Amino acid sequence: MHDTIEQIREEFDKDYASVDSPDALEKLRIKYLGRKGLISEAFNLIAELPAQEKPQFGQDLNRFKVDVEKKHEYLLSRFKSADHIFEAIDLTLPGRQPFIGRKHPLVQMADEIKDIFKNLGFGIEDGPEIETDYYNFEALNIPKSHPAREMQDTLYISDEIVLRTHTSPVQIRVMEQTQPPIRIIAPGRVYRRDTPDASHSPLFHQVEGLVVGEGVTFADLKGVIEAFAHQMFGKDIKVRFRPSFFPFTEPSAEYDFNCIFCRGKGCRVCKNSGWIEISGAGMVHPNVFKAVGYDSEKYTGYAFGMGIDRLAMLRYGINDIRIFFENDLRFLNQF
Amino acid sequence: MKISFNWLKDYIDIEDSPYDLAKKLTESGFEVEEVIPSVQSFSGVIVGRVDAVEKHPDADKLSLCDVFDGEAKNRVICGAPNVKKGQLVPFAKLGAVLPQGFKIKKVKIRGVESTGMICSKEELGLEKSSDGIWDLEESLPIGLDFYSHLVKQQDHILEIAITPNRPDCLSLIGIAREVSAITGKEVTLPSAPIEEDKSKSIDSHISIHIHDQEGCPRYAGRVILDVTLSSSPRWMQERLESVGIRPINNIVDITNYVLMEYGHPLHAFDLSEIKGAEIHVRKSKVNEVFITLDEKERRLPTDTVMICDEERAVALGGIMGGLNSEVSESTRNILLESAYFKPTRIAQSSRRLGMSTEASQRFERGADPNGVTVALNRAASLIHSLAGGSVVNGICDVYPQPIEPARIFFRPQRVNHLLGSDLSHKKIINILKRLQLDYKDNHIIAPTNRVDLKMEADIIEEVARLVNYSNLPSRKETTIVYDLPHQKTDQVLGFLRRMLLELGLTEVLTNSMIREKEAPYFAEGKAVNILNPISDDMTTMRPSLLPGMLKTVGYNINRHQPNLRFFEIGRIFKHDSNNSLPAQPYALCVVITGKRFVPSWNTAKEEIDFFDIKGYLESFLRKIFLDNAQIFLYDNSSFLNNKEAIAIQIDQKVVGYCGKIKDEVAGIFEIKKPVYAFHLELDELLPELMRNRIFEPIPRFPHVEMDFAILLDKNILASEILEYIKNVGGNLLHNVEIFDIFEGGPSISAGKRSLALRLRFQSKERTLNDAEVNMIFRDLIARTTKKFNATLRK
Repeated sequence: MHDTIEQIREEFDKDYASVDSPDALEKLRIKYLGRKGLISEAFNLIAELPAQEKPQFGQDLNRFKVDVEKKHEYLLSRFKSADHIFEAIDLTLPGRQPFIGRKHPLVQMADEIKDIFKNLGFGIEDGPEIETDYYNFEALNIPKSHPAREMQDTLYISDEIVLRTHTSPVQIRVMEQTQPPIRIIAPGRVYRRDTPDASHSPLFHQVEGLVVGEGVTFADLKGVIEAFAHQMFGKDIKVRFRPSFFPFTEPSAEYDFNCIFCRGKGCRVCKNSGWIEISGAGMVHPNVFKAVGYDSEKYTGYAFGMGIDRLAMLRYGINDIRIFFENDLRFLNQF
Repeated sequence: MKISFNWLKDYIDIEDSPYDLAKKLTESGFEVEEVIPSVQSFSGVIVGRVDAVEKHPDADKLSLCDVFDGEAKNRVICGAPNVKKGQLVPFAKLGAVLPQGFKIKKVKIRGVESTGMICSKEELGLEKSSDGIWDLEESLPIGLDFYSHLVKQQDHILEIAITPNRPDCLSLIGIAREVSAITGKEVTLPSAPIEEDKSKSIDSHISIHIHDQEGCPRYAGRVILDVTLSSSPRWMQERLESVGIRPINNIVDITNYVLMEYGHPLHAFDLSEIKGAEIHVRKSKVNEVFITLDEKERRLPTDTVMICDEERAVALGGIMGGLNSEVSESTRNILLESAYFKPTRIAQSSRRLGMSTEASQRFERGADPNGVTVALNRAASLIHSLAGGSVVNGICDVYPQPIEPARIFFRPQRVNHLLGSDLSHKKIINILKRLQLDYKDNHIIAPTNRVDLKMEADIIEEVARLVNYSNLPSRKETTIVYDLPHQKTDQVLGFLRRMLLELGLTEVLTNSMIREKEAPYFAEGKAVNILNPISDDMTTMRPSLLPGMLKTVGYNINRHQPNLRFFEIGRIFKHDSNNSLPAQPYALCVVITGKRFVPSWNTAKEEIDFFDIKGYLESFLRKIFLDNAQIFLYDNSSFLNNKEAIAIQIDQKVVGYCGKIKDEVAGIFEIKKPVYAFHLELDELLPELMRNRIFEPIPRFPHVEMDFAILLDKNILASEILEYIKNVGGNLLHNVEIFDIFEGGPSISAGKRSLALRLRFQSKERTLNDAEVNMIFRDLIARTTKKFNATLRK
């Protein structure tokens, strides 16, 4: 009966050598290992064998079956990995990408500034971009003939209506609506009658800050600006205040930060001074309090400004302000 | 304002270097923008003598010169017309390095070799442009190192930004006073000895009458006879030039010199041109015309202060003199004017005339009414000594109501209250003393030249700036907390922005000023125009975000970036008849163009269409939970293609539009490709968006979905069918949607289309049973087919 196993083995070896596809392998499996396959049939022969031959035949056949199963498995795994190599697409090709959105860099900068001031306990206020002469100038202690009006060349809608030249009118609107304590910033767009060039844009963005209460001092102003500088540019950045003049603050100051590129050592950007001019600030002028009906004996306050565009130019190393409003996709995609 | 460091030292001892002084001035409120040495560094230049000059054989304008440098002759080529034999000149030898780093090398010009260069002042960095080479004084030794020679007279020009509140510091003496306050050194005023000719009386030479006392509170004059007009001495010319003033003649130069010293503008008239020997100060007449000394005829605004003689106007008070009475070569007798004009009047006139002069800038900021005669005497003294002539005895000084120094209420303790500092009473009083401000009886007396000092806060600033802001304390703790009604605009705009970004749109910020002709396409009614626009591109405030965004789209397409997904959030502007200010609502706009998918090897190449923008709109509305927005067809748009336009409505109010931009409108922005957009005004939406959302429990029972398809007339709008089914579906019908549309083919006749609808039934209370759902379903099919004359497809 061993001849039977040998015959099947010979046939199997031949078939096995000629398997060249997963389909052929499957046929091979069915022919030998299937329910009605040759090996099953061979097991059926055991019943007809003399009793003394049965165990030996059974063992041999079993060994053969295990051998066939192993070989089948081996081929199966080979075909599987071959599948990987020969039939897969090139995974290094790019995927299907959706359009991705990006926030305008000026809005990113404004958001960063707002976040810092929110952490410092400031609320956020808003005001109109077209303003009355009263809010933009008069109430801020800039009467009609004041030479300071020339500091900011103004775009007019009519004699009494202007495109706001700064975000300071929001100070007046907030103070008119509420009583101290006040602790707010007001970001927004402002306009000047400047011919566009690398450092001038007829429109740009400012953040106004205003804090009013009992016992508010110049020391608080210095503290807040320092805290802002540290959070925005790092703890090592120092702040310098210099006396200056604004009609709506007294005392008035300009404040500088250590140059963020050389950290105060002196470089080309800061013309070797180690400082970069940021903006103006000061203690709210008593005439401004008078305009909104506050008692300047009881309340004191400070106000400050900063340029969003200017800070963004510093942060991103941009040297032409006009690029913000061109909205070239190659620019926007960098932020 | 340019201040010469050497000149400044005439009035005060300065121990600091120009750079250290600049730092101190900056820290006390006088920002020194630049310190410019008058002599910049150079080397290898010596005093040379021109020994021979002959023509270049091959160039008309060039000369060949032999320059003796003390040791040898050098043959050099020179292009200057003023080169002469025997002249001493600054000579740059081979190897010399000039101020801009220019190195002198052997060169050949038209076949002739040049071994060195004769220099002009320009080439040595001493003036902006020179007409020729520098002809040196004959006394200089030949071979002298020219840099070491010049640097002995080194000066530094401090470019100082004087804030408009400090007109007193538009002068050397003003700055000297500030230096004195910083360093404690005394100011020395220039001496002005005048030898008056007692035989002559001022009253017989001039009389002054002020008819406009409001505009001119004080007018004073001196008369100087028999002056000799010539050029002013070299030292005076050099000083004036160093601060950017062009020398003219001795008389004008002296008035300018005193202007720089005291900051008080003066004017010299040719006395023989003052008819009747009378000065009348009056307001301009209606339509009065006057020719100023710059030879321009000017129509005068009303209320201009005019200086007149018996017959005619001779000067614009405080702004500029007249051509008819200016000092000229024939002038012998002079009327020297020193006056005080009211700042607001000068400001008004100079603005209306568009004239800003050295004089008007000072008068409109505020001159010192009590400094009038000081400047007048100083100038008279200088004229007497530099231009000869005799000074007539006395000053004609009309000053009916003298202006008193301000008395300012001041409490020293208030300094610390405002600054948060801990300065002693004594220190505060000492600082003020250094500024010539005396404290007595809770008051400060502020001299009339300090026009900026009006109230206590002004005095506190004086203390603060001299203590130095850097020495004042800083405090981070605060008790001032934000306690206002919550302003949610910023928060809601931030939310909308986030939602748009999540849809894959890129944010742009465009100019709010547009061309006037663009506006009517995007909004009805009168646009908000700018009275004094910067250019034709920026005449009108945008009534919509679209013009700016379309411009941006055109800009990018022109730069080969055709696939764009942009949005903007910003204010738009419209006239508001009920209000003095225009309406300025926030708006939001999305603009898309180009391919539907990001181009790649495996993405479809088709262009976007209407349903892409509508998809963005619907997704956006869903993201912001604007459930009550309704959409309807709109065929009356000035900027959208009428076949592809819809309007968005909330509570019966149109809040926006969506569709394809008209080709004609896109063309204005140089766009030739299809562009789709939606634009929403947010003011109506903000209250909706600010509403708090309340949680709705998720259904606990399963829903049942059932589909059917109907064949019906293709003109029947999908929205009508959906609306109808929702209306009649009853409260168990949770949702209905179209999941397939089919037209044409053998089974569907022309003019018809097949719609496949999916209904979802859901109850909050229980599981639905098949029978009841089937009943509703069959009923709905029956009603729908009947209503729309449709047939049910099997």
